[in-house]
Amino acid sequence: MDAIRTENLTKKYALGWRRGKLLALERLNLRVREGEVYGLLGPNGSGKSTTLKLILGLITRTEGNAWIFDVPCDKVESRLRVGFLPENPYFYRYLTGAETLEFYGRLCEMKGAALRRRIDELLELVGLAKARDRRLAGYSKGMLQRIGLAQALMHDPQLLLLDEPTAGVDPIGSRDIRDLILRLKAMGKTVLLCSHLLAQVQDVCDRIGVLNLGQMILEGHVNTLISDQRRLSFTVQDLPADGRARVEEAVRAAGGRVVAVEHPQTTLESLFLDALRKDRRGMGHHD
Amino acid sequence: MTERVGFSMGRVGTIAVNTFTESVRQKVYNILLIFALVAIASASFFAQFSFSEQLKFVKDFCLGALSVFGALIAIVGTAQMLPAELENRTLYTILAKPVRRFEFVLGKYLGSVLLICVSLLIMAVMFGGVLWFKEHKLVADALAGATGVPADELPQTIRQIRAEAFDSDLVKGALLIFVKLGLLAAVTLLVSTFSTSMVFNVAVTLMVFVAGHLRGPAAEMWAHRPVALALLAAVPDLGAFNVADDIIIGNVIPWRHVGLVAGYGLVRIVILVWAAHLIFSRREI
Repeated sequence: MDAIRTENLTKKYALGWRRGKLLALERLNLRVREGEVYGLLGPNGSGKSTTLKLILGLITRTEGNAWIFDVPCDKVESRLRVGFLPENPYFYRYLTGAETLEFYGRLCEMKGAALRRRIDELLELVGLAKARDRRLAGYSKGMLQRIGLAQALMHDPQLLLLDEPTAGVDPIGSRDIRDLILRLKAMGKTVLLCSHLLAQVQDVCDRIGVLNLGQMILEGHVNTLISDQRRLSFTVQDLPADGRARVEEAVRAAGGRVVAVEHPQTTLESLFLDALRKDRRGMGHHD
Repeated sequence: MTERVGFSMGRVGTIAVNTFTESVRQKVYNILLIFALVAIASASFFAQFSFSEQLKFVKDFCLGALSVFGALIAIVGTAQMLPAELENRTLYTILAKPVRRFEFVLGKYLGSVLLICVSLLIMAVMFGGVLWFKEHKLVADALAGATGVPADELPQTIRQIRAEAFDSDLVKGALLIFVKLGLLAAVTLLVSTFSTSMVFNVAVTLMVFVAGHLRGPAAEMWAHRPVALALLAAVPDLGAFNVADDIIIGNVIPWRHVGLVAGYGLVRIVILVWAAHLIFSRREI
């Protein structure tokens, strides 16, 4: 069963009297399979948020259809199995972390010991157990994203829709959220992720789709899409001084052509996190 | 087979309590409530004329304060609810849960009613305190001979003061003010379902508040103009809820009248909340 299925999903926004309509999404045919992490990419205004809103029934479709686990998206029942983290989420600032989750839990008809247990579990999962009794007004951006993720998981949905989950979050917070997504995937959850951070999408997503001006222009498995089938790279360690020439000779002898020889580089993110890890005062964290 | 999500009063209650908590944290609410309490308390300082006139003044002034400050609390409290939810995008996370839009609208409305109810109770306690203080002061003055009442008329005068101070019709007056404020909150809610500006919501509802109080005289004035009368029918007759004048001059207000006016208010409220739901359920968020 597909976690998300859309057929010719189209959305036109009315721009006002005599100003016509804006085509925000055009005939989108999207399939997100159960258990996969799907990355929806695209520049601002490409239709990513519109797609999420249509799937969640927050806006009405102009044409086409959409289903969550085969339940039509305009039915409230479709939201039994989906959790949503909006971009830059705001919550009630006067509530503490635990109270926020209690509010969302009660909306999902949870109560008593089961609700309390779930709140404890989720605060632990997102690393906010120590900040549970602190008001959200005092939470950092990264902490707000994590409490947002926790509220999305409150009713243990099989599908998660995450809209820019790391927007405005520092690299440590961003890494935490990426790790959380991977943990959710390991738990068998399906994730639809909208993000501008292509490196992060590459790290966590199985498949991606690229939207531009409301149309899907590219879709496929990440590894297939980004690997260059005509090229092959070796990473060699401890090669003796004359080794390089011999290897290049061997490549030429086999009919190939050496295009580039370079020292592998670490990513700036790894370098940054490594530097913080080595700092004896400890790693700056959000709790 | 997918589980069916029915209407849940539990979800409505959760949204209502959260709405109430959010509203009482607003500075504007607390300022209005403090002003209301100060205004009601100040009524006790009016100490001229006869005891009867003093008590009438306290009742008139305090019922007026309950109505005006209650209306401001109802309008301001309700007007910011939906725009704030939209602006802060808290609405997204709520409606992304298995929550029906009707449950959301009803929860918001009931949260507002809870706010009105608690505010009126606080103001009513202050009103009761002022009446109690006034009654004690007038009795003490009478016993001390400060009012010039002859000694043989003193027991009769004290009985009269007590009877006038604690008139059970005050409860009926307060009850009708409560229904009227609930009606105003419903009007504000309806306006806020199609507007995103809190200022617009407040302005429109204040106009309805004024028009609602002028509706009775206007209907008499335009009795032979069917178009004007049809337009007036859309405005709730808020003047019908005002029984302060009857209370002050000592007319007994029958429960039947209270029931009829409250029933009129409740029917209007149901229509307004339903209309708010119909608009909000089609609104793109």
